[in-house]
Amino acid sequence: MPRTHDIHLATGADDGDGLDPREAARLLDQSTREAQRQFNLNPLWVSGIALLVAYGSLWASTRDQHPYTGPSLGVGTLVYVAVAVVFAASVKAYRSATAGVNGPSVRQQRVEGIAILVSFVLGSPVLQGALKHHGAGDAIVYGVIPAAAPLIIVGTTVVGIAGSKGDWPQFAAALAVVAGGAVAAFVGPSGAWLAAGITLFVALVGYAGADVPRHRRIEV
Amino acid sequence: MTNDSLDPVIHAPARLRIVAMLAALPDGASVSFTRLQDMLELTPGNLITHLRKLEDAGYLDSETTGNGRASRTSIVLTRQGRAALHTYINALRDLLGPL
Repeated sequence: MPRTHDIHLATGADDGDGLDPREAARLLDQSTREAQRQFNLNPLWVSGIALLVAYGSLWASTRDQHPYTGPSLGVGTLVYVAVAVVFAASVKAYRSATAGVNGPSVRQQRVEGIAILVSFVLGSPVLQGALKHHGAGDAIVYGVIPAAAPLIIVGTTVVGIAGSKGDWPQFAAALAVVAGGAVAAFVGPSGAWLAAGITLFVALVGYAGADVPRHRRIEV
Repeated sequence: MTNDSLDPVIHAPARLRIVAMLAALPDGASVSFTRLQDMLELTPGNLITHLRKLEDAGYLDSETTGNGRASRTSIVLTRQGRAALHTYINALRDLLGPL
């Protein structure tokens, strides 16, 4: 403990003799909520809405295409910007939440983050490149695969991570993402974007909602 | 309503807030003295006083690394501290009854 700070030593007046149990319960609940808010890692609600808007825009810009040629440059740019904003917000939230926090759990979260990033960055582009190389059409290379593959690949990665930790709400959310990715793979190149967007929104918001009561378990 | 069944080490506003905040971290995770002070908005001396009481009871561990200005103090809730908080919560529930 940093004993150099002793110049402001407290008077010791902060004892609990006058603390009413009801007031103590309120203080405990308030402190727990405040700590969970500050240590919370991901702006899941924001990410869910941003991804729904991004994927919805892709669906809207491609739904009347026959044959499928892919999203317009403007929509593509909008989606890249949305993903960049979500990524930047997540990194900022993570750094803010873990400032001054250390231990095995924080190191594990960093490793998990790297695993998810690698599976996201490499998974779909490799498949797209390979399929393009072997002559697959634009509907597959620029529609079905980029919409469905990240959900299946990243979702499976998160299923493994969540299962190893016993984080069952996260496990269920990730499993829903994998299932949504599987559905997206069979609803056509334009519908795949919509299916992916709805899946991500439901999974992220659902997980955020499930996380609240789980974190409140020490309430009185 | 009697407070006798409530652990006096935890049953003080500042220490209750400290323990509740440390309990919000995963098992084994520590938080720096500076971050904890920012979150609680206590003076350093006041925080040190309460941390010492909790540490003396075995409810938390602290570790200082480095020297001088570069020193960093980390605080972690022990298993005993986490168990004491749960006991405290159960005692509060018994006192307050169904709300």
